Amino acid sequence: MQNVVERVLNLLIYLLESPNPVDSNEIRNTVHGYADQSDEAFHRMFERDKQVLRRLGVPLKLEARDVWEIDEGYTVDPDEYAIPDPKLTQEERLALSVAARMVRLGGTEVGVGAIIKLGGMERGDGLEPLRADLGEGAEILGELFAAISERRKVRFSYRGHIRPVEPYGMAHRRGHWYLVGNTSDGERMYRVDRIDALEVGEKADIFTKPKGFDIRKSVDSQPWEAGTDPEVEAKVRFDSDVAWWAARSLGLQEPKKELTATVAVVNREAFVGWVLSFGDAAEVIEPPELRQAVAKRVEETLARL
Amino acid sequence: MTSSRTVTRLSRILALIPYVLDQQAVDVSEIMERFGYTEEQLTRDLNTIFVCGLPGYGPGDLMEAYIDEDEVIIDAADFFSKAPRLTPIEALGLLASGMTVIGSGEGSPALEAAVRKLSKVVMPDADTSLAVDVLDQSRHVGSLRDAAAANQIVHIVYRSVGKEETTERDIEPWSVFVTMGRWYVYGHCRLVDGPRTFRVDRIKELKVLADVFERPDEIPTPGVGYSPSKDDVTCVIDLAPEALWVLEYYPVDVVRESPKGTRIRFHSPDAEVPARLLLRLGAHGRLVDGPEVAVRIEAIGQALLSRYQ
Repeated sequence: MQNVVERVLNLLIYLLESPNPVDSNEIRNTVHGYADQSDEAFHRMFERDKQVLRRLGVPLKLEARDVWEIDEGYTVDPDEYAIPDPKLTQEERLALSVAARMVRLGGTEVGVGAIIKLGGMERGDGLEPLRADLGEGAEILGELFAAISERRKVRFSYRGHIRPVEPYGMAHRRGHWYLVGNTSDGERMYRVDRIDALEVGEKADIFTKPKGFDIRKSVDSQPWEAGTDPEVEAKVRFDSDVAWWAARSLGLQEPKKELTATVAVVNREAFVGWVLSFGDAAEVIEPPELRQAVAKRVEETLARL
Repeated sequence: MTSSRTVTRLSRILALIPYVLDQQAVDVSEIMERFGYTEEQLTRDLNTIFVCGLPGYGPGDLMEAYIDEDEVIIDAADFFSKAPRLTPIEALGLLASGMTVIGSGEGSPALEAAVRKLSKVVMPDADTSLAVDVLDQSRHVGSLRDAAAANQIVHIVYRSVGKEETTERDIEPWSVFVTMGRWYVYGHCRLVDGPRTFRVDRIKELKVLADVFERPDEIPTPGVGYSPSKDDVTCVIDLAPEALWVLEYYPVDVVRESPKGTRIRFHSPDAEVPARLLLRLGAHGRLVDGPEVAVRIEAIGQALLSRYQ
């Protein structure tokens, strides 16, 4: 590893300092660490080092060196290389440092690597017992994040179908990451861990997001709010034993005793299921057709025993 | 194939150099804390920097890097006057970290300002295109966090997940964490005299006591989810394709899968949980085996039907 670290540092310095793009032969003959290697060994090392540079966030580019675009060379633009300075105050960097150490994504504290690039961690005070795990799949999340912020189209395989999508945003909700984007059938949502064979388009800024798009509105919060049934207002009574628990799920004030709540339903199937998850401690009061739907579901289950 | 350790090490070197160049000379202890170095790692990285530089690699071409009277000095490295830009996953990770803490109710004006400034340089419209929902509907996370930080005992009224029953107990909270979108508190439970993980949204009431507990030096890794025991109720259920969400919500064993349906084995501490699940599923589920569960479904089902008559 020591050799790799030295060689990559030397390669990066050479690329940053060369006024013009340099081809792999020039790199091989100039950068310390590549000499005395067979052709095959050199190409293997060079491929690997380029990959290391990209994973470091170095904008390595292959550019034409003549008007016919036959001769190409590698280059790193120092302005593009430099991290844009968000101009954080010491207090703000401390707050971000603490947050970065609390949160894991893809099995590691990726935010800590970011904070280090932004000038390191500030001294915190004492023990921070909060922790958060935002799941696995860091590589694909990074690619989607870049596609969203650069407005590039994506294509992927989802449940056996190829989906071309204009990615608008992503959200972590109930333990999963979701991608929201525009398709030929309108706005759609995809669970990121089910996305396969992701391809990101080459052109940036290829679409515009609709004004007023808000990822939070797109990722519906309750199952019965996602659906196409005609909207109906349901009144549900929860016994005192479960009332506090139901109130919490609905984002309502926690009651002292029982709770009667009014819920707007556009997915009756999901709503009936949710009410039944309270066993016999919840009852739909109205409308009659939803009362019937609950009773019918119970009869179906009993009939199948 | 690229070693992650190589990338991590290089990333830290490329952040260290601009920081030291900018400050000119920095205390070794500050560098160690700021960049998470041990003394040995720092010496090794400085020695690496020291042998790298411009082609030619003569004395005037190499970077200077050394420790002098407890200060880190780096020179002749102007090409590294800035750290490399954040990779997409680093940018996402840091933004999402800030949003997670703000979303948990433990944010601060400084953190909100930091997230705003960071968005400006990595994803200007992040406030409408990126969201991390770790909402704490119980509003207990803050109290539990403060109790864990101050080693204070907490009394809770808890509705258990496996058994639909409510218990009261004193716990010594060690950590509070969110995983799979849910908040948990992990600590020593005085009722069972052992480490336990509790779902925060299932804590009905909570009282932080004045008594202090002693935090163990080594805290075991918290277990999340359900660990089977010999007193469990086990049943076998057939799921229609419409009911496959069950596989994501419950810890089940898949017995066999076919396009027409999936057979699962379901374990839980009592019959209540699978009984309620089957009532939810209606025609999309079928109890294949589980006499206690059938009895429970019958009881809840009849009680429900009498409410709806």
